Amino acid sequence: MAEFLHYFPLALSFTNLLTLTLGVIGGLILGATPGLSPTMAVALLVPFTFHMDPATGLILLGAVYTATVAGGAISAILINIPGAPANIATLLDGHPMAQQGKSQTALYYCFISSLVGGLIGMVIMILFTPPLAKLALKFGPPEMFWIALFGISVMAGLSSGSILKGLLGGMFGLLISTIGYSPLLGSPRFVFHDVLTGGVAIVPALIGLFAIPQVFSLVETLGLKLERPDFEPEKGVLFKTIADNLKMVKSLSIGSIVGSIIGIIPGAGGQVAGLIAYDQAKKFSKKPESFGTGNPEGVVAAESANNAMVGPSLIPLLTLSIPGSPTAAVLLGGLLIHGLFPGPDLFTNHAEVTYTFIASLVLAQIAMCVFGIILSRYSYMVMSVPNLFMIAAVTVLAVYGTYSVQNSFDDVIVMFTLGTLMYIGRKFGFSPAPVVLGIILGPIAEDNYLKGKLIADTDVGVFSYFFTGSMNIIIILLCVASIGYSIYGEIRAYRKAKEAAV
Amino acid sequence: MKRDGIVSLVLLAGIVSLYLSLGMMDDPQAVTFPRIIIIIMGILSALLLLQSVVFKQKNDSKGAGFPFGRFLICFFMIIIYFFLMEGIGFYLSAFLFFIAVTFILGIKDLTWRTGTFRVIIAFLFTGILFLLFKVLLVVQTPKGLFM
Repeated sequence: MAEFLHYFPLALSFTNLLTLTLGVIGGLILGATPGLSPTMAVALLVPFTFHMDPATGLILLGAVYTATVAGGAISAILINIPGAPANIATLLDGHPMAQQGKSQTALYYCFISSLVGGLIGMVIMILFTPPLAKLALKFGPPEMFWIALFGISVMAGLSSGSILKGLLGGMFGLLISTIGYSPLLGSPRFVFHDVLTGGVAIVPALIGLFAIPQVFSLVETLGLKLERPDFEPEKGVLFKTIADNLKMVKSLSIGSIVGSIIGIIPGAGGQVAGLIAYDQAKKFSKKPESFGTGNPEGVVAAESANNAMVGPSLIPLLTLSIPGSPTAAVLLGGLLIHGLFPGPDLFTNHAEVTYTFIASLVLAQIAMCVFGIILSRYSYMVMSVPNLFMIAAVTVLAVYGTYSVQNSFDDVIVMFTLGTLMYIGRKFGFSPAPVVLGIILGPIAEDNYLKGKLIADTDVGVFSYFFTGSMNIIIILLCVASIGYSIYGEIRAYRKAKEAAV
Repeated sequence: MKRDGIVSLVLLAGIVSLYLSLGMMDDPQAVTFPRIIIIIMGILSALLLLQSVVFKQKNDSKGAGFPFGRFLICFFMIIIYFFLMEGIGFYLSAFLFFIAVTFILGIKDLTWRTGTFRVIIAFLFTGILFLLFKVLLVVQTPKGLFM
């Protein structure tokens, strides 16, 4: 806490505040735009942060991450389409409120609850991250190897409908990360063409896997007409809504607590947080039957939960390289391109950058609420942006963002090839998040495997070195539990579908 | 054979080819890690094949109504855009790509009014990119014949 307070003023510099403001406004607009996912928005921004100093670059990414989660509620409320998966629970009561002519009130509830939940989540993050980072100090090569695999197994289970496809995606990512020259031995691997000589860099992979499939999806849905936004301006409701919102202590508490707990669990993400909080708020409500008909408590619980998730989702990311959500996985890419590796090093050697980033996330929550309230009056306009413009703009930004990191057309070709393959993969139920995580965590896994093997060969042998020791066993069990839980979920879903079909 | 079955067979074919290619690499030590991954991928693909046989899938109609024409037009426009960018530079190619996408993919709604609006938006978008990259961030862009 003392370090946090010590570095807090750095987040208040003119450049950082300007970056934060632009990031929040841009994030709210991107979050509200149907068809643009927050993960893609952050992925597109990663290369631009390359030209900034690390703290400012991370502030931009953090601000966009925070604001897109809240911004996604705008389209959920106004046109019944969640801007992000985290906002699915918001539309259950948010859209009925809009249909009753209370769209502006619903948006105010959304931003105020997001602020409360977000701040509580940030407090938890500030308190828990440094001690967990110290724990990571005790990790040697075998633990780090298993941690990398744990990250992939968690993301594989939660981001796609099938654990097998998720794991295949993660393994494919690991394999892509081995293209190029071997880190320890210097020999070429899978260099079938000149463009692959340098391997596959993180930025082209991030942009290709998230942005190009989105472009093609927009092309697919060109003919579809979206629902007309239900927006009617209301006068003089702001202060009344703030007062009413703060009186909803039960819903705010449920949302913030559930969001914070779900956020810490790697891979669970805002969608799970929002839905569980909504369900709990309904169960604890005196009028559960009013949920789903435009009850503001539903909006409050869902939105406080999905923003409370933001801070804690960064705890496993900053300490163990395990992202709490697909967007956090992209954020991990942003950290790595600045030479910042998750773990204790972030809180000692790079304390200035790390704590400035954390402080800016607190400020981003406040800015998100203020600008969200201001922009909510005009937010319906965002929904009118034609897909044609988004296709062109996202492609140009994806191409330039990829090119700009190493001034290389080879990267652009790699980006487009991966993106096209991912688009085809998505048609068959594969998800980009485990692939990205495989590419990011691949070097960590391989490096630690090779180091561990070298040590083990001269010591107790590979099996004993990697499969014994309390910490190894705990992480292996976590991997097994994560995969086992996903298999259980799939079997349950299969049985339910079978019963429904009978 | 259902979708997952076909996917797993295609994956298995790719995995076998990749495994065979490992033998052509100079240093056997350097391919230890990729070899393990390829073996795991092979096992997972086989499990996917088994799953597709044991758990019967419904015939879904995801492939129906897919706009192949639009997809191919967009795909080739992006490829042409890459070549143009190298030839004529970033800003001009971005402007032309924006116009091409909005005019060709949006030809159904094309009138004098919408066309003029699209050209104005393309001009504004390229102008903002120029201000952002050239003036504000001062970063290098593909130059080509023009800037």
